[in-house]
Amino acid sequence: MSVSGPDFTTLWVSRISRNRLSLVLVAPTLLLLVLLLFFPPTGSEGGALLQFIGRFHPIAVHLPIALILLVPVLELVGRTQQFSYLQASVPFVLGVALLTALAASLLGWCLARNGGYSGPLVTQHLWGGFFVVVISSLCLGLCGREGRAARLYPIALAASIGLVGFTGYRGGQLSLGEDHLTEYMPGTLRKVLLVSRSSAGRATGGAATFYGVRIQPIFAGHCISCHGPSKQRAGLRLDSYAALMRGGKHGVVIKPGDARGSDLFRRITLPPSHDDFMPKEAKQPLSGDQIGLIEMWIAAGASKTQPDLMTGPGPQPVTVAAEVRFAEIDYAAVAKKRAAVDAALIELQKRFPNILEYESRGSADILLNASLLGPRFADEDLAALAPLQDHIVTADFSRTAITDRSAPAIAAMKRLRVLRLMDTKTSDVTVQSLTTLDQLESLSVFGTKITPAALPALARLTKLQHLYAGETAISSTRSLPESLKNKIVRE
Amino acid sequence: MADSESRVCRKTYSSSVGEVHPDVQFAALEAQTRRHFLRSLSSGVGALFMGTIASQVTHAAIVGGAAAEGTRLDFRRDPTTPLLALPPQFPAKVRRVIYLHMAGAPSQLELFEHKPELKRFDGQDCPASFLAGKRFAFISGVPKLLGSQYPFHQAGQSGQWISDRLPHIEQHMDDLCVIKSMRTDQFNHAPAQLLVQTVNPRLGYASFGSWVLYGLGTENQNLPGFIVLLSGGKSPDGGKQLWSSGFLPSVYQGVQCRSHGEPVLYLDNPSGVSRPLRRTMLDAIDDINQQTYAAFGNPETVTRIAQYELAFRMQMDATDAMDIRKEPEGVHAKYGAKPGKASFANNCLVARRLAERGVRFIQLYHWGWDSHGSDAKEALNLGFADRCREVDQPTAALLSDLKQRGMLEDTLVVWGGEFGRTPMRENRNGQEMKYIGRDHNPGAFTIWMAGGGVKRGVSHGETDDMGYEIAKDPVEIRDFHATMLYLLGFDHHKLTYQFQGLQQKLTSVKPARVVTEVLA
Repeated sequence: MSVSGPDFTTLWVSRISRNRLSLVLVAPTLLLLVLLLFFPPTGSEGGALLQFIGRFHPIAVHLPIALILLVPVLELVGRTQQFSYLQASVPFVLGVALLTALAASLLGWCLARNGGYSGPLVTQHLWGGFFVVVISSLCLGLCGREGRAARLYPIALAASIGLVGFTGYRGGQLSLGEDHLTEYMPGTLRKVLLVSRSSAGRATGGAATFYGVRIQPIFAGHCISCHGPSKQRAGLRLDSYAALMRGGKHGVVIKPGDARGSDLFRRITLPPSHDDFMPKEAKQPLSGDQIGLIEMWIAAGASKTQPDLMTGPGPQPVTVAAEVRFAEIDYAAVAKKRAAVDAALIELQKRFPNILEYESRGSADILLNASLLGPRFADEDLAALAPLQDHIVTADFSRTAITDRSAPAIAAMKRLRVLRLMDTKTSDVTVQSLTTLDQLESLSVFGTKITPAALPALARLTKLQHLYAGETAISSTRSLPESLKNKIVRE
Repeated sequence: MADSESRVCRKTYSSSVGEVHPDVQFAALEAQTRRHFLRSLSSGVGALFMGTIASQVTHAAIVGGAAAEGTRLDFRRDPTTPLLALPPQFPAKVRRVIYLHMAGAPSQLELFEHKPELKRFDGQDCPASFLAGKRFAFISGVPKLLGSQYPFHQAGQSGQWISDRLPHIEQHMDDLCVIKSMRTDQFNHAPAQLLVQTVNPRLGYASFGSWVLYGLGTENQNLPGFIVLLSGGKSPDGGKQLWSSGFLPSVYQGVQCRSHGEPVLYLDNPSGVSRPLRRTMLDAIDDINQQTYAAFGNPETVTRIAQYELAFRMQMDATDAMDIRKEPEGVHAKYGAKPGKASFANNCLVARRLAERGVRFIQLYHWGWDSHGSDAKEALNLGFADRCREVDQPTAALLSDLKQRGMLEDTLVVWGGEFGRTPMRENRNGQEMKYIGRDHNPGAFTIWMAGGGVKRGVSHGETDDMGYEIAKDPVEIRDFHATMLYLLGFDHHKLTYQFQGLQQKLTSVKPARVVTEVLA
């Protein structure tokens, strides 16, 4: 008996394989249903092996998507005379789509359950995947049949496409962020589609409150990728005040009035190597200022409504037990920095042993302590230091023999932060020429002939913090420039 | 220098090994220990194994090891200038230290620890919970609680509490950073002083000053870089070990100077010996020492040469630096100093003169704070008040002089003892004693710092209401040292010296933390 013809063969093959396929697929579909119903994602991380397997979900998921979207194409194109043979491949494509969709869904569950996900996004994504499997099975059952089934088939097909779109969109939100489609949408298109700028990550506590202005942006910048609308690791969300105060599955994280007793504060102040340290992984740790703000806010009662009264660059945080981090010295970079000055320094160190040295092992700045030479150090010696003038940041000429003739040489050391002229013969002439030293923070003129006439020049040094003017004519004067009043140490 | 003399003969090695520099040879032999042996043994076995597979692997391991070595700081110097100044690891906040050690452990409860609750329970039996599991030097049975013997008040704009015993230091309260939560595990003076100065209660470790000198050298090559001055009539219980260099080369040990008469004995040339004659003599000795060094390669020989040379240079400079007669009368009055008489006041003035002359580490010990109440000198209401008078004015004058000259910006001043005292009145042998005193309390004590990089006018840490144990922010001795090294520009992990197969460091092998809360 020779029965031939493509139609029959296709039908026969598909009928057989459909029945078998449905038998093969019932068990895993039920398994998926049970997993979704009884083992939903909890937000905590599970076994490493399942996580490892789960990480293949994003790779595996694209094949069924493509195949399901291919089916209506095959159906439509197959209606034309020229491509009618394509219709015969529909059951096969649907079958492969179904198998791979099921596999991708199971992988997806592995990832969601064990990768620390929770929240409506991931739940909808999971159930979306499940219904894609269900509706794909339905399509497979309906395709190629007669009567009512033939009328239902296009509807089921349309529904499957809709579901794939919905599920895929949720998946995109999970991996790329909630507003991933509109985030970089051009403004004009945004207007046409009436899409408003997403408010995710923006203050939700009100514009003028301390929480809204100072605290929420810190969480938005550092925390909500894992503790936000998309993921809630440990069941914790930090994207709204209510959620923050509710805490996570380990209990409340903020105890109003008690920063050190608050788990959130404890975790952000741990050493970064600690297991409990937050933010985790490669994320940027909070800065000292941010930690200080959070501490202040909790200590003040962790209020949602307290107005933000701070102005200026931000608060000086109250004492925070920060850890010192020591950087390694990059000797190659140091050698490069020093290249311009090394030779001159070594040459001058021979002439003036012990009084010239680099500020530190990683620095090209130089400290000068001529006071050790006392009267043996005079104006011509100071002049000899000219090759180093751009590198000297601290200069102590106390008790040396320098006079006002050195004024230009000192004024040329433009990077000086500390200058000591204690017990020298320098006078107002020198001090008045120091206006070029805009980095100067500390100046000692103790025991010199300086007079109040030099003060207006010093008042122009914006960085000056301390003026040591004991045993001078200034120590008894009453009229001091306003800007120097708190900076002069006289007795 | 008797110490270095004994060390000269410590180890001698044959020079027959060939052309290896004696220094290198010595270091190599000294560094070879059980730990090295075990380490090279295990890596040797590993290398045999790896060698059969791929020689590059061991090569990579060796190169990697060398890279790790490269991150160590280099403290080597020309042996003839062992005290040469070296830059710190990081830009330093302070360039010198003046450490005022109050030997015998002053009572924090009579000076900085205001405890009204303790006052309320004055005279009552000490609760049993205070005594359970504790060891005391003298307290036995059930002692009575003892409130502060002196009234307290708040001082300065910072409003820190202080008793009426330190009216001069009180003027500087806004410059002080008072750490009230210092803790130790030693309750006898000598080991506790060793712990405070060497971060180890046993003998043989290098003192803080020696470490600083080793790490930074000193600016003035005509004066010792680490000078120790004593007052109070007795040496501290820990003895000269407190300024010992331990395992560091002995050139880094503290030089104890006398507070009256010649600062260093026999520094002056005897009559009939001129300075050129002395020079000729030294040249001859140096020559012999050089020959010895060439033959045996012991770096201690170089130390000895350097010390002779230092002494020669010191003949001029030390005498001048120590001579407080060169200060005007007003300055003597400010410190309460009386030239020619050994006193803490004189030493404070000398300390300022030494600091001005570029001495890296100046340490003053003032003995007599052990206020047990066993006699009038040790009584809180008698001898203790005298000690306060002896240190109050000079300490304040030193702070004021440093501040006036701008030197407090880059100097660290430290004031404190080796442990605290109990909130209980001492009852030696269970009897009430004639004088009022307190026993040793390692559980909590107070130290203050002032100077560059340190917060001003703050207290750090708290004790409980009785001032007995720490309630908040304990600071271990090694934390304190890690913090001081930080101010001096060092990561305490990186200021190391290879000895007995270990990278020895000041802060010991236990983890230490820089107390960032006190940093400005």
